Amino acid sequence: MVKMSLDPVQVMSGQVTELKVAPSSNGDSRGSWEEKEEFDQDHLGLTAKPKPPKPENAVTIAVSSRVLFRTEREQKVFEQKGVEEYLRYQIEHENEPFAPGPAFPFVKALEAVNSRLRELYPQSEELFDIVLVTYNHAHVGIRLINTINHHNLFIERFCMTGGSSPIGYLKAWHTNLYLSADADKVREALAEGIAAATMFMPEKLTEVSQSQLRVAFDGDAVLFSDESERIFKAHGLDKFFEHERENEDTLLDHGPLKGFLEALGKLQKKFYAKGHRLDCPIRTFLVTARSAASSGIRALKTLRAWGLEIDEALFLAGAPKGPMLEKIRPHIYFDDQMFHVEGAAEMGTIAAHVPYGIAQKHNAKQNTGVRK
Amino acid sequence: MVSTVQNTDVKQKESDHAVVVAVASRAVFEPEAQGGDNVYAEGVAFPLLQALQKVNERLLEENSAESLLFDIVLITTDSQQQQQSSHLISSTKHYGLEVSRFCFSTEEDFIESLLQNNVQLFLSTDRNEVSQTSQKGVLSALLDEYTTSCPSEQLRVLFCRDAVIRPDTNPTPASRQAAQSFSAQLGKMRQRFGMSDSPLSIALMTSCGGRDSCGGALRTLRSLGISVDEAYCLAGSPRGPILSVLRPHFVLSDCFSGLED
Repeated sequence: MVKMSLDPVQVMSGQVTELKVAPSSNGDSRGSWEEKEEFDQDHLGLTAKPKPPKPENAVTIAVSSRVLFRTEREQKVFEQKGVEEYLRYQIEHENEPFAPGPAFPFVKALEAVNSRLRELYPQSEELFDIVLVTYNHAHVGIRLINTINHHNLFIERFCMTGGSSPIGYLKAWHTNLYLSADADKVREALAEGIAAATMFMPEKLTEVSQSQLRVAFDGDAVLFSDESERIFKAHGLDKFFEHERENEDTLLDHGPLKGFLEALGKLQKKFYAKGHRLDCPIRTFLVTARSAASSGIRALKTLRAWGLEIDEALFLAGAPKGPMLEKIRPHIYFDDQMFHVEGAAEMGTIAAHVPYGIAQKHNAKQNTGVRK
Repeated sequence: MVSTVQNTDVKQKESDHAVVVAVASRAVFEPEAQGGDNVYAEGVAFPLLQALQKVNERLLEENSAESLLFDIVLITTDSQQQQQSSHLISSTKHYGLEVSRFCFSTEEDFIESLLQNNVQLFLSTDRNEVSQTSQKGVLSALLDEYTTSCPSEQLRVLFCRDAVIRPDTNPTPASRQAAQSFSAQLGKMRQRFGMSDSPLSIALMTSCGGRDSCGGALRTLRSLGISVDEAYCLAGSPRGPILSVLRPHFVLSDCFSGLED
């Protein structure tokens, strides 16, 4: 197992040119986002709090109520007694806020990044926008609003669809990442090209940073497509290595979370532009079973060609991911294999499952032991 | 001159308890197109009428003696339409629409006709008509591009807070009263059904305000006896994309006017 801590000055990110910043105060960045400086004089109601950004300018993170908060008790009422009783229960307990769920630390970290961004770029709308997208019934609405107020979260947008699919609304809000407890909804979102993952509540939670957002990604079938995994599953490890060696200079195809890493990278560059490279409040990690000396090279070359920096790449060469993740302490770790998600959760890491690619067909059959 | 004709194919509703909804004939039938046999082609409000009928059907399934039903009236709003009265009647019967009566009026007297018929909701595709009737205290809603492509299996009503739909008119106290009483009846109808598989779905949207604005609106509706199924808080994000997914049949915004944020 090799840990390579890549300083952006080194090999991988040699491609990235430093952002040239115009002398104007708001630090417009280049790229596909359009910077709109607007004072909306007609704006109603939100004078005390900062105004939420336009969806197309922001990095929109949609979370469902079951991952933002803990709702196990209410779930049980729903499963055992049906929807009418469930809603009655919710209304009865309307003034009792829910406890934080698995996505809560992640959302808090996003807000911490937003505070830093607002300090540096007061007019910019290139921020995280956290929206609550739930197919819960609006009867639960007041309790959810009370809970958001109680925890002092900055969530001003939500959809409670009362049972219909939330996917259309995710698209309407240009959602960059969708987190839910429902694997079917997550699969639907992935099929529509929206980065999505299923979250689970770990039994114990290791403490995570309050000031730096730390996001970790698996490589194959998460950042990259599952093409190499298919080779491994069909033909075994040796064939996998051979294939990777032969195709070292061919870029891997992109995976469902590449776009989200890209969005994080754009925000990171805004901090670098103001001299905050060393204390950047966003840090990204690649945690892959590939080996540094061999199959990992193709991964790095692909990232470089995409113009994506990743702060730390950890090549485990097949070793378990749990202990490494426990050291990294990400706010969220994305993996396509439930085996790794569960392994991470056992050690207190909040892991999210990306139900994408060839691994899903094998998930049900395998339980232990099979690793790349 | 206004004439009112009953539709003999349809059982008349009890006037004390029914909710009278008048729909402009130009919205129900395509005035230019002919389906052949002196029958008009379906207009943009057709799915809306079917959805209203569906609600009535299900209400009667729950209780065959139910009197809280939609009482649908077809109204002409100009003399050209007024002259097509026989075609309108035959087209209505041809499609088996549950229209109880027809009001044949002109642009001068259609508002009077609405008031005489105790209309609680007027729906039209014409912005001016809606504006005029609203100013006279009749609850009115505009059928626009977002509301005209909805399916007919479920009536979808959207309450919208703080959206500037008709910037030139401020709802009068009379129209706010009309809004609240119609809404309360809608709320009662909704209560006749369970949480899932309801033929009527009530949604709330707040356009500009944030979560507290939406929370306040939920509480207001609750105090009027209206349980909302779906809630959308936009906090300034564009309405169009959300409305395209939401697909309400019509939008009511007068319930909240005058309430402070």
